[in-house]
Formats: sequence, structure tokens, C-alpha cells
Amino acid sequence: MAPSSPSESCPQPLSTAENDLQPFFVLHKASHHGKDRTSAGQGKSRKRNKLSPILSQSANKPEGSSTEECDRYMRRKMQIEAFDIVWTKIESTIKDVLRDLNASVFNNIQQWVMECFDAIRLVGEPSIAEATRSFPVLNNTTPLKVYSALVITRNIEFVDDIMTFEELGLFLKSHGCHVTKLSSMEFSLKNGIAGCLKALLREFIGSSFDPADIQTLASWYREQDNYNKPLVLMINDLERCCGSVLTDFILMLSEWVVKVPIILIFGVATTVDAPRNIFPSHALECLCPSMFMLVTPAERMDAIVESVFIKHCTTFNIGHKVAQLLRNYFINQDGTVTSFIRALKVACLLHFSMEPLSLIQGRVIVEDQLRNSGLSPETMLKYMEELPSHASYNLSRNKMDDQTNKSMAEGLSELLTVQKLWSTVVLCLYEAGKYSGVRLLDLFCEALNHVLYPSRDSVCKKRDEKDHDLSLTNDPCQQYSIMQSGGYICQIVRKVRDLPSGKLDQLIESWEKLTVDISEIYEKLKILQSSIRCKDGKSSLRNSKDISKRGVSKGSINNDKDSRMSNLQAIAFLDDLVRNYLRPIEGIPFHEIFCFKNVEKLQLVLIGDPRRTIQVDLLEFHNMLHCSCCNKSGKALLPSMHDSSIMYSLAQEHGDLINLHDWFQSFRTIVQHTNKRKQKPKHTPQPKKRKDTTGSEDQNEASIQARFCRGVIELQVTGLVRMPSKRRPDFVQRIAFGI
Amino acid sequence: MNNIENWEEEEEEDEEEDLEFSRNYFLAKEVQSSVKKSKRKITDIDVVDEQELREAALHIQPKHENEIAKLMDSYTAMYPEWLLSLSCGFALLMYGFGSKKALIEDFASKTLTEYSVVVINGYLQTINLKQVLITLAELLCDQVKAKRKVSGRQLSSQSIEDLLTFLYEVEVEDKDCFVCVVIHNIDGPGLRDSDTQQYLARLASCTHIRMVASIDHVNAPLFWDKNMAHTQFNWCWYHVPTFAPYKVEGMFYPLILAHGSASQSVKTASIVLQSLTPNAQSVFKVLAEYQISHPDEGMPISDLYSVCRERFLVSSQVTLNSHLTEFKDHELVKTKRHSDGQDCLHIPLTTEALQKVLLEIS
Repeated sequence: MAPSSPSESCPQPLSTAENDLQPFFVLHKASHHGKDRTSAGQGKSRKRNKLSPILSQSANKPEGSSTEECDRYMRRKMQIEAFDIVWTKIESTIKDVLRDLNASVFNNIQQWVMECFDAIRLVGEPSIAEATRSFPVLNNTTPLKVYSALVITRNIEFVDDIMTFEELGLFLKSHGCHVTKLSSMEFSLKNGIAGCLKALLREFIGSSFDPADIQTLASWYREQDNYNKPLVLMINDLERCCGSVLTDFILMLSEWVVKVPIILIFGVATTVDAPRNIFPSHALECLCPSMFMLVTPAERMDAIVESVFIKHCTTFNIGHKVAQLLRNYFINQDGTVTSFIRALKVACLLHFSMEPLSLIQGRVIVEDQLRNSGLSPETMLKYMEELPSHASYNLSRNKMDDQTNKSMAEGLSELLTVQKLWSTVVLCLYEAGKYSGVRLLDLFCEALNHVLYPSRDSVCKKRDEKDHDLSLTNDPCQQYSIMQSGGYICQIVRKVRDLPSGKLDQLIESWEKLTVDISEIYEKLKILQSSIRCKDGKSSLRNSKDISKRGVSKGSINNDKDSRMSNLQAIAFLDDLVRNYLRPIEGIPFHEIFCFKNVEKLQLVLIGDPRRTIQVDLLEFHNMLHCSCCNKSGKALLPSMHDSSIMYSLAQEHGDLINLHDWFQSFRTIVQHTNKRKQKPKHTPQPKKRKDTTGSEDQNEASIQARFCRGVIELQVTGLVRMPSKRRPDFVQRIAFGI
Repeated sequence: MNNIENWEEEEEEDEEEDLEFSRNYFLAKEVQSSVKKSKRKITDIDVVDEQELREAALHIQPKHENEIAKLMDSYTAMYPEWLLSLSCGFALLMYGFGSKKALIEDFASKTLTEYSVVVINGYLQTINLKQVLITLAELLCDQVKAKRKVSGRQLSSQSIEDLLTFLYEVEVEDKDCFVCVVIHNIDGPGLRDSDTQQYLARLASCTHIRMVASIDHVNAPLFWDKNMAHTQFNWCWYHVPTFAPYKVEGMFYPLILAHGSASQSVKTASIVLQSLTPNAQSVFKVLAEYQISHPDEGMPISDLYSVCRERFLVSSQVTLNSHLTEFKDHELVKTKRHSDGQDCLHIPLTTEALQKVLLEIS
């Protein structure tokens, strides 16, 4: 298991022991051999379908690397390619969505920046003499204010805002501003005003100055290319800045504002009051604040879910449990879109890493973009044949299973069609859900639940069998299975039931837009529309008669009833959609190719829990090691166990302080137990050590003490115990309590 | 020196009081904790000779060797997955009980042959991050054969900030080209401060740098905020307990039963003293005799000087000071400030131990 010696290209190969004590060392340099293989690999991937045994041989390492290794290498290349294609698409979609969401706020900010800049210019441009002096323009009138925007991020965490502010910066740059971004780290007490000025110059001018002077910035700004553009400085986490440093900075800027027209944009995570809590009044007087609001993380999340999973920018999908995990993580723990996106990226990686057939997706997307056509079974069949696993399979089977392939390709193609229908239904439901404030993320999770799907179906069948023409008098809505299921879909439908007719019309109109490409659903919608229109026609006719003959009151009751009928029909329409088309991906054959379901694995890779896991490693080590010697006696401590495990188990018996003496004694008792058992003829585990030491008691004692010391060190390395303090030299302190 | 110690101790006490409340809360939740506070002293343990202890510590028989080897071997099946994660832009974070040094280096030398690999031993006390960055920049330059190749001298004259910018911005045509940085114990003493962690996070976010790191401390994730953990490092967590002994990682921790650092043992003290001049030994004897007769107070330097002068052991304050420096360097003598403001000398040994030392050197 020892690391192999550094490659020959390394100038001074060091032995392992020496390397252990080097602060750092080069283990090996990139092998040229690897490079050759890379180029061969790239060549191959282009001609993947023409992969011949000769070509694969030539790409092998000369010294006995197998075809298997070559296959593995090829597979990795394809995995990377597929991941790159799929993830680049998802990522760019997410970026676009977020940009669209922020577009209006960004526009407002840009306009505001321009207005502020004009306002500063109105005060009067400095003359050349003034501008080249190394001190600020001083007016006798009141000092100028620094225009500052407070962008309320409505986030708990600043991590999402980093992305937003980067986008804002790009946006403003493209609209002719000089933009720079500093973080709260620059406004720390340690850096002081000089540090943040230095950072400011580095960001604006691009090289470091020592000592930093704002005069440098002023003269830079005087240069031809830079002049006449506003300078925008963004600080995305106002609350984390050091108040006094920022105050000094603002006071300085306010003096220089004529020469250096800096406009500030602050990201504010808490409330509008934040500046008042941070700045003293004389600094507040120098600021001229305006306020802007960003969209909430929940809105952003819904937009992302819509574009990535519902509108399917790629064929990559996640299963119900994975969606549930991501949703709970977002809602209950993290609350940031960044983590959600990252989790999605990890899911995507794991999918390509674990599911061999998933590689098809990369090709599907590329082709889809090129031709912009639907995926016919023929194209699917083509992709499948290109898969290396499939190629080798075919070679061995002599293409006997053409029929199987064809039916599989048809299955895949159908899967994508079913998905399209599913998406349309979810979008229709979401449109209706907007009236009841249902979040798309919640709806999405519910729509993925394949456990619910058959029950919906069976409820409906039962109903069909029982009584199809159930009287509509009692609660007619109850006949629809979606009303009985509970959950978000039910909530949405309930709202539809009570929707006033105007809004219902709007809803149906929006459904029309959503379904126009999907003929199956569109036809049903047309029927719904015509029947409602027909009723409307009748009722309006009746109404005019009613009004003329019997007066208004009865007419309005009728009207009510009619509109209720329309609501019922809308519900019937939704019910039909849900029953027939809301088929979660996990219930469809071959879904594994497109759908990542392994929630346990995702959780492990995504969220490490060292605090708990390391303790479990120690206390239940035999679950990992599967040794025959330690797991037979339940919880009792055996001498054959790992020393650190024995010690940590013993430590559990103590309070927060462990008396070293007692700890040592109990450790010794357990370890020495071996000796007594050794007397018996029975063969005990771990006999080697005792063989050499039985002769000398001293040596044995030394060894036990050394093992105890080593155990303490190991627990110290893991941070589970803290060393004795001067006040309590006889005790170590426990750090972790309870797993 | 003394003041600093006092201050540290005070801080420690404050912190302990702060922690006591929360600790009691968690303790109360534990079923087993029938808090029996023992009064036994560590000195009651009949510790074997320190030399012997150190010798024994070097030769501890490993347990479960076969099972550990099997476990390590089982992780090789994960190498392709780890490699894919790295290629797709993620970093690997290995955790779990046991030294992961051998495992990670095995992974690097078997699987990452196409890429240059730099190993940082985070368990060491000091690590010069700038040197690491220079090496990385050089490697990347070699690999890219960049046209605007920056020479080694130029690189070394740049600041950490510039080096990071260089690494961040360097353009490489081949997307799958990167230098892998292996960090054993990214939570180690040499890398623990927040500045270094920030630099490492920025390093990890460079396009052509990939990181494989290990942590051992249960609280290591507290180093990173969300931006660092999720965006910059972009960790994929892998639980890979190895149960291998922390041989090098634990090298710099004191053996708790060898009172090495806290107070000198008789043997080491006498070894040091025997290597000194007879005059120096005699000065030490004066101090030791004073301490035996006045066990609770230190000896004022002026008193020591006058006694030594009387006995013709030193001729001037300068000579005495040079002896004292020697003692202090070997931790044979410590200075304490007396309540009246005088500096007093004190040998960090018990009276019994002192007597033994005196016997040995006479």
C-alpha cells in the first residue's frame, strides 16, 4: 500500500520516509505516456463507432496493460464527455433563468447608476488644474454625498449573492460602467483603510500599488479611455464588513467624489436598517441611499426547477427520493440555491459514474441540438449501437438480437414522450397552483412520487366500476380521485373549484399556451373550452331572458351554478390529465438511463458528517473491518480490539473529564486480559505480540503504556479529546458527546 | 514570557467556564454518565523509563493487519469514481478513522499518472504556502508549455496574491489538464489558520488545479463557510476509514505518560547537565540546593549571582547569563516573576527528582 516511488522525471526522488517530513513535494510529474494516450483516446472517441480491436491495442500501454484497462479509459472519456455536455447545458440554462429573473432589478439599478452619475456631473467637472492636484476638490458648499444602492438580497446566506453580484457586475460593465467588487474580507480591521484602498486600486487599475493612494485612482480616471464613465464599487455583504474601516472609507470617498465619481452598491442581507446599525451618523450623512429588492430564494428555486426539470433542458432527471432530499435540504437546512445547484451537479456526476447506459444522454442532447428533432426509435437505436458495451455485446452475439434492440429503442423513445406529457401536466397544475401559492418545488416532488401514481389510478378505477354517473348534487368534486389524495395537487384542485369565472378563463387560456404543442392534451382542452363556451352561450342567452322575464335574483343563482359547472369541468380536465399523463418517470421502463435515484449515495458524497462518522468508526469498527476476533461478544471490550477503539469506548464511561489514571488502568485491565487467556491452551487471536514479550514483564508494561500513549494521540488527532490543561494535569477533556 | 503564560491560562479558564454550561447540557443527555470524578493522579501511574517508552511506542504491534489490508484494497474499486470526480471538476475530501496517507498516495500514483501531483503534508507544523504555489505554477507552465512562460525567478518574486491570480487565469487548451494537489490533513496545525484556508480555497477554485485532501479532526468542516465548501473547494465527501495507525500524523504530539514537555525527567536533565562545563553544573547545583531548601519560592537572580561570585563560579553577570540561557534552552530553568517584581529562577522538577539529579551529576 506504500506509495510508489516518484517517477523518473522527478529531479530528486526522495524516499517515502523523507517525503513524510517534507512540507510538500512533487509525487510525480505528468507522464508523457499519459499524454500520448490522451491524444489516442481523443482520436478514438471521435470514431467511437468504428472502434476496432487493432486501434484499441495500439492505444494500450506497452507493458502489459489489458484491453480491460483500455475500455475503462474509454469509458471514462465518454463519462466526462457526457457529463460535460449535460452539465454545461443545465448550468447555462440556470444562468439564463437567473439572469431573466434579475433583469428588471438590474435594469433599474443601471438606470439609477446613470442618474447618479449625471447628478455628480451636474455639480461641475473639476478643471484640469483642480483635477491634477493631489488633494480633493473642496467646495465651500455642503460636502457631496456618495450615492449608494442597498440591494436587499432576502437571503440568509451570502453565498447566493456572490453569483448575483457577479452577474450584476457583468451587466453594468456591458452598459459602460467601470465595475469592481470587494468583499467584506477587504474591509477587515486587520487590513485597515490602506488594505481596502489597495484592493480597490488593484481591482480598478489592475496592478498593485504600494503605498496605495486615491490620487492614483483619480489620475487613472482622468485618462481618456476611462473618463466619462461611472465607477461602480460593489460590496456584496455589508453586514460582514468592519464598520469603522468602512466608515473611514466612505468619508474619504465623499471628499473625492467629484474627482472619482464612485457609486456604491451594497448587498444587504438583513433589513434596510443595516447601514444605520453599522455606520455612525456622520458617515450616514455622507450616503445617499436608494433601495432595490432581489427575488427571494424560493422564487429563484422555482424558476430553476421549472427550466431544468419540468421543461427538461436536458434528458437528465432525478427520482422522487432524490428530489425529496434536495427539497428538504433546501427548505430545512440550507436555504441557498447554490447548494441546490451543487447537489444537482453531484447527482449528475454520480449518475454518469454509476449508470453505464446513462452515457447515451450526451449523444441525445448533441443530436437534439443539431437537428432539433424529436427522438425517434431509429435515432435511439443508433445511439445504442454506438455504446461500447453494446458494441462488444453485439460482436459476441453476432447481432442476433436485433428485435430486442428495436423494442428497447422504442421503449426509450416512448419514455421521452411520456416525460413530455408529464411535464405539460405539471406545468398546467403549477399554473393553477399559482392561485393557491403552491411552490413548484413542492409540486415537483409530489408529481415524481411513483407510489402515489397507482393509487390515483386505482381510485379512479374503483369509481368507474361503482358508479359512473354519480349524482352531482352532494359534493360533486369528491368523485375525482385527485380531490381525495391530499397533498399539493389536491390543494391546487380545491382552489380551482372556488375560482371565480374570470380567473378561470385566464387559467384556461394559460393552459392553452402550455398545451398547444401536445396534441393529446390540447384536444382535451379544446373540448373543455368548447363545453364551457357552449354553457356560457346558453347561460347568457338564458340570462337575458331571465332578466327580462323573472328579474335578476334567479338569474344570478343560475349564473353561479353555471360557473360552478365550469369549475367542475376544469377539475375533471385536471383529473383526467393527472390520471392519464402524470406518470412519474420511475414507473416507466428504462428510466434508469435518464433518472438518478440513488439517494443514499448522493447523501454520502454531498454531506459528509465526520463528527458522527468518526465516532461510529471507533465504536463499531468491526462493521468495517469484518474481523472474526472482535464481533462475537456483543458490546464487551476485547483485548483484540483496536487500541483506540477500546480507549474511546472506555472514555464513554466518563463525564466530560477523563481521569488519565483511571483511564489507563481500565485500558490495562482490558489489554492484559489477553495474557490470562493466553495461559489457556485455546488459541486466541493476536498471539504474535505476546510471544515475544511473555518473558519480560517490564517490556510488556512499557508496551501497554506506549499503546495507551498512542491511543491518546490518535484520539487527539481526531479531535475527540483535549489535552490536560495546567489547571487539571490529571484529566483529558472529552469533546464529543453522543453520536 | 510569564505574563503570556498567565494570560493564556486565564483565557483557558474563561473558555472553560463558557463551555461548562453547554457541556453540562450534553452530559445530562447521556445516560451512562454517572459522573464519578476521580482524584487519582497521573503521577500515580508507575511510568516506565521514558527512553523505554519511546522505544516501545516505535514498535507497537499493529492489530488487524490483514483486515486493514483488505479494507484498503476494497477502496481501489472506487479509484475510477474518484478519478471521474476530479476530471469533472470536483475535489475529493477523505475522512474516517485511520491514516489515509498511504491510501491517497496510492490512489495518486496509480491513477493520476497523466497529471502532475504535488503532496502537501499538512500534519507538519509549518508549511510555506508560497513555495507550494510557486511549484504549482512551474508545473503548470511545464505542462502547458505556455508561450509567455514565466521563469522561476520571476515566479518566486511574486506575492501569494499574484501567484493565485496567475494560477486562476492561466489558459490551457486541453480541458482535461490539471495539476493535482494532495493535502494530507488539510486540518493540520500548519494549515489551520483562516488565511491559509482562504488561500487554499482560492487555489482549489482554479480551473487547472484539483484537490484531494484528508481530514481527521471531527470539527474540521467548521473551517469553511458555504462559499468555500460548496463553490471553491467543491468537495465530494468520501468516507474511507482505514484504521491504519497515525504514524507520521501523530509524530509531533507528546506521549502523554512521558512528561517530556511539561517537566523534565531526571534522566534527560542529567544527560543535559553532564554535557555542560563543571562551572555550569555548579551553578545549577547552587540553584537546585536553594530550591530544595525553599521549595515554594524561586531564587532571585541577584541572589544567585552573589552566591556564585562568592564561590568563584562566575566572574560577571554576563557569564551567569550565558549559563542561564543554556539552562533555559534545555528547559532546565524557568523564570517566574515574583510578587515584588523580581525575576526568580525555578527548576521545573520535583524536589525528589532534583535530589536524584544532584546525585547523578555529582
